[in-house]
Amino acid sequence: MISPVRIWDLPTRFFHWLLVTHFTLAWLTAGDSRYLDFHVFFGYGFLGLLLFRLLWGVIGSHYARFSSFCYSYSAVIKFLTTPSSFSNLGHTPAGSWAIWALLFLGFLVSGSGLLTLGALNQLGPLEGYFNFAQGDLFHWVHTSTAWSLLGLVILHLSGVILASRIHRESLIWAMITGFKNTTCLNEQSVPQHPLIAYSLLLFILISAGGYFQGRLFQNPNYQPFPSPPLPQLSLWQSECEDCHLAYHPTLLPQRSWQQIFAEQHNHFEEDLSLDEDTLQQLKQFAFQYPAESNLTKTAWKTHSTLSSSQIPLRITQTPYWREQHQTIAWKQDSNFPAKLDCVACHQDAESGRFTAAAMRLPTATDFPPSR
Amino acid sequence: MKLAPITFLLTLTLSPFIQATPAVEELFTQYRQKGIQEFSADLGKNLYFQEFKLAGTGEIRQCADCHTPDLRAQGQHAETGKIIEPLAPSINRQRLLDIKEINKWLKRNCKWTLGRECTAQEKGNLLTFIQTQ
Ligand code: HEC
Ligand code: HEC
Ligand code: HEC
Repeated sequence: MISPVRIWDLPTRFFHWLLVTHFTLAWLTAGDSRYLDFHVFFGYGFLGLLLFRLLWGVIGSHYARFSSFCYSYSAVIKFLTTPSSFSNLGHTPAGSWAIWALLFLGFLVSGSGLLTLGALNQLGPLEGYFNFAQGDLFHWVHTSTAWSLLGLVILHLSGVILASRIHRESLIWAMITGFKNTTCLNEQSVPQHPLIAYSLLLFILISAGGYFQGRLFQNPNYQPFPSPPLPQLSLWQSECEDCHLAYHPTLLPQRSWQQIFAEQHNHFEEDLSLDEDTLQQLKQFAFQYPAESNLTKTAWKTHSTLSSSQIPLRITQTPYWREQHQTIAWKQDSNFPAKLDCVACHQDAESGRFTAAAMRLPTATDFPPSR
Repeated sequence: MKLAPITFLLTLTLSPFIQATPAVEELFTQYRQKGIQEFSADLGKNLYFQEFKLAGTGEIRQCADCHTPDLRAQGQHAETGKIIEPLAPSINRQRLLDIKEINKWLKRNCKWTLGRECTAQEKGNLLTFIQTQ
């Protein structure tokens, strides 16, 4: 006689589908700095869920425990060559290895993400412990492990589909309902533990509410990652901002500023006509905080992606700027902001920081055609 | 809005009597020392609206490109798009107060618009025109 028996308790199922959700959402919000706060939230959630799973693997119900799916290499080989020899309701040996690998890679991805955030963006709990060059390395690890994780997920899914076909029983459905069919009468259903499962869900929802309340309820100029201001010079501001935003010196390397000031009488067809004293003060400021000063991620990226023979006179010509803005459909004749109108899209442009998540693409209503 | 025509008439009748700021007075004195006798608001106005053809590209430029034909309106930098507060002293009390500022901008803007610096005569005319606005 075939009868259904519950093998996955509620916390295990919640964990599984929450992890899927977090991974998907983190994947979708990756790569676009506008959504860094979302990406980071799902990253934290992902890590938190993995930690919960570690705990649940020790104190959870029978099939959720690590001890119930701890198979040796030879067990996997035996299973793969003669699948019929295996009869256990929980994870198969091959499946369990996929799960160990998923857990391991999951920790690598979220750990390297946290390191990237701290080193490259100088944000989060690890802020200040690492430099930007290390940040680039962490970022590389983060993206490559994330792709590997995606590969593993696909492998895991194929295994699940294959096993479902062989056993004529949907394993995906089993992860939703918790039940699997068995002919063995002395199999007992595991307890549900609903309180723990719903607490987990509630905890995530409350955290999300707290984390995103700024996005939800504050003004459109809300900045998820407020950062301390950069050094400013009021003379710099007053001399430069009549014609355009007073671009902070961290946006170009020192050799560019050298050139810009040397050509001050033909500054993009304008004559800056700065007197000697003013010029000296501006130069001093620019040479103190050029991109090479590594005050921000933008500064680091701007000069580290330039070849040393390049002397860009425009921020908008640096490889980093172009790479960051290549997806934007610049419209020439409409009221879409000009490239140099950084403030239109970057809330913190005046400070010179250009933090991730402090930018947005203007919508049509921001720029009514009447202007 | 009923007041608009009245204010307009008032400005028109009063404009010849508008006081030059000390900074502009000082500049006029300097220009006179260079031998300029008279300053004409009309000629200043003509120059303000005159279109200049740029030597290389043939681009047409005039002061109004950035300060708009109505000096009381907010302008916009023709190249960078940056908002420029109105040039008319009647609207913008900060205008024409500082000799250094005026000199700097007349030098820059004449070079950009005319392709050369303005003469003392031209500068005098322009300032005479602007201050009536
Ligand atoms: C008289 C007007 C004027 C002033 C004052 C001025 N600039 Fe500019 N600047 C321009 C114009 C015009 C451009 C070119 C804009 C364009 O091509 O759209 C420009 C472009 C630039 C660019 C290149 C922007 C890019 O990425 O394309 C930099 C950098 C720059 N200016 C720095 C400065 C600094 C620093 C100061 C102050 C010392 C300053 N400017 C003052 C008119 C001015
Ligand atoms: C039309 C809107 C718009 C304008 C104008 C604009 N940006 Fe951006 N910028 C963006 C968007 C959107 C992103 C995020 C792109 C992404 O990550 O895919 C971005 C990204 C950046 C970044 C990368 C930040 C990070 O940490 O990831 C920097 C630096 C930057 N912009 C600087 C500038 C500067 C300097 C100017 C002015 C010269 C400027 N931007 C003008 C929209 C704009
Ligand atoms: C390319 C744009 C541009 C053009 C063309 C231009 N100006 Fe200006 N002008 C500016 C900017 C920018 C300022 C400074 C803005 C500010 O102070 O708010 C300025 C300031 C001035 C000032 C200084 C006013 C004060 O005391 O603050 C005067 C006078 C002036 N312009 C006259 C002219 C005249 C006359 C012409 C035509 C020959 C002209 N401008 C053409 C951009 C322009």
